[in-house]
Amino acid sequence: MFKTLDDWHTRLTGWIFETFLQPALYATDLMNIADEMLEWVDFALFSIFGIIVTYIVCRPLEAWRPVEPVTDRRAIRTDIIYTLLARLGIFPLLAFILLSAIQSRLEGMLADTGFVTPTLESLLPFLQEAPLLTFFIYVVILDFGEYWRHRLQHTIGWWWALHSIHHAQRQMTFWTDDRNHILDETIAALWFGTIALLIGVSPAQFPLLLLLMRLVEAFSHGNIRLSFGRIGERLLVSPRYHRLHHGVLSVAEHGKNYAVLFPVWDWLFKTADFNRNTYPRTGDPAAPELIATGGWLTQQWIGFKRMIGIGEKA
Amino acid sequence: MSLCEITHHDLPPNSGHRMKRPIIASLSSWLMAIALGLVTFCASAQADLVYVLNSTDPSIVKIDSRTGEEVRRIEGLREVHHLVLSPDGKELLIADSVGNEILFVEPATGNVLRRERISNPYHLDFTPDGRLLVVASLRRGQVDIYDANGLRLLERLRAGNKPSHIAFSPDSRIAYVTIQGDGTVMAIDLQERRILWQAPVGPEPAGILWHRGRLIVGIMGRDHFAVLNPETRQVESTIRVGRGAHTIFPSPDGKTLWATSRVQSRIAEIEPDTLQVRRFHEVPGGPDCLAFGPDGAVWATLRWAGRIARLDPASGEVSTIRVGRSPHGIFVQPRAAQ
Repeated sequence: MFKTLDDWHTRLTGWIFETFLQPALYATDLMNIADEMLEWVDFALFSIFGIIVTYIVCRPLEAWRPVEPVTDRRAIRTDIIYTLLARLGIFPLLAFILLSAIQSRLEGMLADTGFVTPTLESLLPFLQEAPLLTFFIYVVILDFGEYWRHRLQHTIGWWWALHSIHHAQRQMTFWTDDRNHILDETIAALWFGTIALLIGVSPAQFPLLLLLMRLVEAFSHGNIRLSFGRIGERLLVSPRYHRLHHGVLSVAEHGKNYAVLFPVWDWLFKTADFNRNTYPRTGDPAAPELIATGGWLTQQWIGFKRMIGIGEKA
Repeated sequence: MSLCEITHHDLPPNSGHRMKRPIIASLSSWLMAIALGLVTFCASAQADLVYVLNSTDPSIVKIDSRTGEEVRRIEGLREVHHLVLSPDGKELLIADSVGNEILFVEPATGNVLRRERISNPYHLDFTPDGRLLVVASLRRGQVDIYDANGLRLLERLRAGNKPSHIAFSPDSRIAYVTIQGDGTVMAIDLQERRILWQAPVGPEPAGILWHRGRLIVGIMGRDHFAVLNPETRQVESTIRVGRGAHTIFPSPDGKTLWATSRVQSRIAEIEPDTLQVRRFHEVPGGPDCLAFGPDGAVWATLRWAGRIARLDPASGEVSTIRVGRSPHGIFVQPRAAQ
């Protein structure tokens, strides 16, 4: 079944590329980026699949057990734009064309020095026979990296100025996961990609890993009255656990529950709040109103201005 | 027991000698001819292995050409594009560009013999005398010259924007490299290890072939191959094959040049003396690199379809096999006799 799905995916990717993109590249003398564009179509289709899976999982739960009624549909529409741009739009496109070239040069320079990038499998050979365990360890390591990136977003002034866009949303839904400043997204991609590169995540596993992590992250942002219980709350980030992180009293350096997938990091580093009966209001009371209610471009511009004017830190 | 095995065991001794006599219309001679034909067919059918590099899977797959079944897959790579057989025929060198390494694979078994750290190898080839290995790095803008014995780096040349494919003069003195981003062909003196000249050929040049004192260059941004005179550095003529002209390979018997166009999705048969197109084969899916089977079949990677195609030049029939994402380099073992 997986093979059949993979074949459909390949055929659809090829059809879109041959029918729409390749003629345009040919007409504009851009055939030398054909490989990168094919990869982008491949990635975009995978992302659409991810969005559909996320919608199928989260939307019925939001309708069934909402924490709060939907009063601001415009704010949700802005978050949908964020999601589409983040997963299909200009950023992934630039990442493929620009970042892949930079990555290739950096790796080549590393190769020149004789440094061989280690992989988990090369450090722990028994993992070569245990792909599922290897995959799980990759997830744990990357999640640990995400925890610390998230903490730094809250404690470094200019970084919080960007990240506060994510926290300004008062009508939080599963779409809110991708509500980030484009510079914040860039840093996040570099952070995540560097760790993945250092531990040697296989490119074949990378899309699956992203799909899994994004599904859990989107779910945790859902407008869903759901707690995983005394034990479950300590194993996996739930909508309740993450809502507390988005609460009005949890902004900037006052943040709690930074974990993305596994709350164990908050537990270990004393940033956990397991108060299971709380579903606070979300938002950043100190943020400008337009960061909460403005359109995508307005939010991006205000975020940028706040970043360069570090003194304006909320 | 297979038909092939029965036929083989049923063969009388010295059958090869008997085949050299004039064939008279006797029943035994006809039977012998049929038996030998079957043996030849079975031997090649059993032995043919097609290696395919799936550049974005990324993986190397080994296909049994007779059944179309995948018999082996090597994974855990980063981005594999091109491969070349070592001059002694004992190793296949497979370039993993993003992985910064070359895998040395035994062609008969597919076993990975060793891996060498090499900076971003994209296209690679040995000089005709087998003494040097030249490696183009598309993304790092460099051309590396290695001693083929021991892979010692002799020289690294900065080669402009996206050095792509490599060809050599028959005396192994000069390497010609297409520079995709600059629209040129670059000539490199391999003895003095320096750039000699650079000549414009057209947008996004890709594959390149030395052919009877000329260089035939695929102009990916146009619908033709450019015929470049390396003495005058002028494009003397063009061969129209279809939009996205890409790579060109001589058939093992030298009687045909085979050229691909990735946008128009066709494979062209070209007369080597006149450089006129004899025939077009429409092959959907973006045909890219080619390889030749001992049975005369032409194998092509279909970049956008995740498949390889087997083209029977006699009948023009095309069949495809699913291999993986963005298949690029291809090699058939055993290699057809040159």
